[in-house]
Amino acid sequence: MSTLKRDLFDIFTRRAAIASVGAAGAFAAIGARLIYLQADDAFGGEYTKAAEANRFDVRFVPPVRGVIYDRFGDPLALTSRDYRVSIVPEEADDLERTIQALGALVGMTPEQVERRVREARNRKPWDEVQIKQGLEWPQFAAVNVRLPEFKGVIAHVGEQRYYPYKAAFAHPIGFVQRPNQMEIEAVEQEDRKAAGLGPKAEPGEKFDSPRARYSRSPDVRVGKAGIEAALEGALHGEPGRRQVEVNATGRVVSEVGREEKVAAPGAALVLSIDAELQRFAMERMGGQSGSVVVMDVMTGDLIVMASAPGFDPNAFVNGIATPDFKALNEDEKKPLFHKTVAGAYKPGSTFKLVTALAAFQAGLDPRTRVNCPGYYWFGGRRFHCWKRGGHGEVDFRAGLKGSCNVYFYQAGLQAGQQRIADMARQLGFGRAFPLDVPGQAAGIVPDQAWWASKRNEPWPAGMTLNTAIGQGDLLVTPLQLAVMVSRLANGGRAVEPRLVRDGLGRPEPGAARLDLPADGVARTLDAMVAISNEAGGTALRSGDLGLVRHPVSGRMVDVAAAPPGSERVRMGGKTGTAQVRIITAGERATRVKKNDELDWKLRDHAWFVCFAPADKPRYAAVVLIEHGGNGSSVAAPIARDIVRATLLRDPAARPAMTLARAATLAGKKPA
Amino acid sequence: MSFAAAPLSNRPRNVSDKWKRLNWGIVTVLVALAAIGVVMHLSVAEGAWSGRPLSHASRFAVVLMFTVGLALIDTRFWVAIAYPLYAAALALLVAVEVAGATRMGATRWLDIGPLSLQPSEIMKIAIVLALARYYHHLDARFASSFLALAPPLIMIGAPVALVMHQPDLGTALLIAGTGVGVMFLAGLRWRYIAAAGAAALAGAVWAFQFALHDYQRQRILTFLDPEADPLGAGYHVAQSKIAIGAAGVMGQGYQRGSQSQLDFLPEKHTDFIFTMIVEEFGLVGAFLVLGLFAALLGFTMLVALRARTLFARLAAAGVAVTTGLYVFINTAMVIGLIPVVGIPLPLLSFGGTAMLTVMMGMAIVLSIHVHRDAAPSSRGFLW
Repeated sequence: MSTLKRDLFDIFTRRAAIASVGAAGAFAAIGARLIYLQADDAFGGEYTKAAEANRFDVRFVPPVRGVIYDRFGDPLALTSRDYRVSIVPEEADDLERTIQALGALVGMTPEQVERRVREARNRKPWDEVQIKQGLEWPQFAAVNVRLPEFKGVIAHVGEQRYYPYKAAFAHPIGFVQRPNQMEIEAVEQEDRKAAGLGPKAEPGEKFDSPRARYSRSPDVRVGKAGIEAALEGALHGEPGRRQVEVNATGRVVSEVGREEKVAAPGAALVLSIDAELQRFAMERMGGQSGSVVVMDVMTGDLIVMASAPGFDPNAFVNGIATPDFKALNEDEKKPLFHKTVAGAYKPGSTFKLVTALAAFQAGLDPRTRVNCPGYYWFGGRRFHCWKRGGHGEVDFRAGLKGSCNVYFYQAGLQAGQQRIADMARQLGFGRAFPLDVPGQAAGIVPDQAWWASKRNEPWPAGMTLNTAIGQGDLLVTPLQLAVMVSRLANGGRAVEPRLVRDGLGRPEPGAARLDLPADGVARTLDAMVAISNEAGGTALRSGDLGLVRHPVSGRMVDVAAAPPGSERVRMGGKTGTAQVRIITAGERATRVKKNDELDWKLRDHAWFVCFAPADKPRYAAVVLIEHGGNGSSVAAPIARDIVRATLLRDPAARPAMTLARAATLAGKKPA
Repeated sequence: MSFAAAPLSNRPRNVSDKWKRLNWGIVTVLVALAAIGVVMHLSVAEGAWSGRPLSHASRFAVVLMFTVGLALIDTRFWVAIAYPLYAAALALLVAVEVAGATRMGATRWLDIGPLSLQPSEIMKIAIVLALARYYHHLDARFASSFLALAPPLIMIGAPVALVMHQPDLGTALLIAGTGVGVMFLAGLRWRYIAAAGAAALAGAVWAFQFALHDYQRQRILTFLDPEADPLGAGYHVAQSKIAIGAAGVMGQGYQRGSQSQLDFLPEKHTDFIFTMIVEEFGLVGAFLVLGLFAALLGFTMLVALRARTLFARLAAAGVAVTTGLYVFINTAMVIGLIPVVGIPLPLLSFGGTAMLTVMMGMAIVLSIHVHRDAAPSSRGFLW
């Protein structure tokens, strides 16, 4: 071997040594990096956390929604069992056939079956797809029997909000539904704000709003109307959290069994409403469109809060079918509309009570007599009385009893528009109440300031006359009228309507005294009793309650069962007939059309407001029948029956349910 | 070319003689690494034998038999086929360019009937043999001259350019690295190395600007700032680092690595198998595997230093360079030290080509070891 070759060998040996050192260095770098990553994790735990975040997913457990009871503990909204069938697509032998067979068993239309098949195909194959919920027990039993041949089908019992009184409480209670896209986006925005992020997602940003994710889970329902919506925060409860192990595609690999947080049930509520009377009121209105309010004049408790026609809120819980919703939405009687609080109507003659008090405040002498020839000339215009020949000579009592427009035109002029408006506001008009139902209308109490904000011309004095008899621009809700009557009947105390008696930890309400002319209130109530009980009263025909007060117990009993010496129980009322169309001078010259000659939509609204018992007022009631025609012939009889039923049950005198007592009975502390 | 009996006595005479001279250390390490691979594939398959674990095991068994068989062939055979093999590999690379099959966006495969061939893999071994032979025959007086640089540079440059064009950055890097490694071992002058380093830097900048494909550039950018795209190109490395960081000294336990078992770690049976080993067996497992590879490289270098011809020395050391580059690039990639280049971990990763390449290299090393005492001719040549 040559020396040169030897040199090359030596070079190789040297170079091999250098390369080995280099390789050792590279391996050391790898080892050091591995150790560094471990140490990094040991201090900050960042990789462990990231691995856990990958691995564990938080699933929300919806809490049990709070039960809503009526004042005597009858549940109006509760969580009930719900029979459901669903399918896990990857476990089914023949997905389409299975769903078809299942659909036939549970009474689904071919379109519904087709939609479910499409849904099952589009989802991840391990994701359970709900086929139908709200099964009848026989259907559920039929599915259960055939489960062995239905591979991948799951029959289970879930929980669902249920409204046992169906249409009777649709408006005050409302209903729950899955949150819609807008609501989900709203909570997402709140979460983004809380996380210090802008309203729009940046590209590549990985923000996950936990509440939005919760809102999207299929079992979550939120209040959409009525108390369910207004008190969503209290009723919903706190969702629980549960950890599951998922793989990279989001499939649940195992239940970790580590319940991070147990769901806290929502607060139970006890309402002021008496379910029996509410149902009676709804029945009594029949198929008509209208509203009934019965209020405890002392406490403000709403004992009846009915709006007709109703609808079945249960149909909304799982999403109502489009044609069904369309039918409800396009019904001319507006079943979806909460007329009691959201409907603003002309009060008609019922407003004369307000005009009377305003006039008394202005110094009206009730003995002053006014001649009513059937019309009143004012400002070069003829203002009509509803009674075509006129009432003749009337004082205050006769004027109110006969609901004489001419008398009240002049009473209104004596009071003046501003005083009428102020009195109306004192009695509860022109604003929404702090009540737990959404969508209240404020109504309109016109005065000069309001007029100035609407129109650029001076207040026409004739408007005062229209306002005085409850026409013109006035708009009120049935609830506002009930509050007005209550405030008169309780001797001038500012009761506010109340729906929730227990469950929110609110203090018992106190009522401030209003600045009302005491003598005027007494005379007005007296005249109202005359309306229902004396000849010439507009509601005489429905004035007899057929009740007596038992001389021993003091309870109301039917007149047929009256022991000797019982004293008849009376009510006081006021009719109202509110025009919804303009009567032209030409029509008035010939003959004003009767209501039954008109289209339903053009007929007058029929009102009746009342209180009872006449001697010791406890309940105020308001009945509105939309386009019902005449207040005395349509609304008054309904009001009479409802007042009679209310007095017989006398809910204000019976002990109401309290959650504390219910909890004691159930042997646990109140939630 | 002749297989005539060598003039010196110490050449192994028969098969049993050769068998006795096998380097059992290398064979043991190879078997141990492949066994770890089988164990990991069993973990991926959640304990189910049929499928990858069985396939990996049987494939290794067959390849090992061939390797040992080839080890019994005289070293002169490798000298003899060095240039033809290189020429064939280069021709196949051209063929790929003309008629290759495109899979997953890259044209690397040549479909010959049922066989699917990656000529770039053959080239990794061929370049070692060809360069070893070149330096072996090079007159020592010119060995370090500037002119002598041209042939090896062309030998390296041609396949690298072809492979880059497929495009397969990882393999191109491996071939280039191996070739340069052999040149270095053969005594490349430091001044050339310095000059080449400067040129490489300039070339890298140029390549990044003009020559690289978008996805290749993206990988480099992602490597420089992995947080920029955690769900896109950076996902693999981000998940891999999470798995490794959370592993701890002892790991999460066999079949209990959440990142691997729940599929957050992609490509865990191929390029990212090292991550899975670390996740399930911790630092202990990582250092065991790295130690086995270090032992393999160490044994190979010992074989090289023990060899008596320059060809044998360079060939054995060249195989060590190829194997070492495989291991380093793969492990450094999965722990985020270097950008992601699709290079498997030989003997462990599922898939035949890397295993085949390394085992073929090892066959040469074993052959050199078996014939270590066959004295070269007086001229220092084999015949």
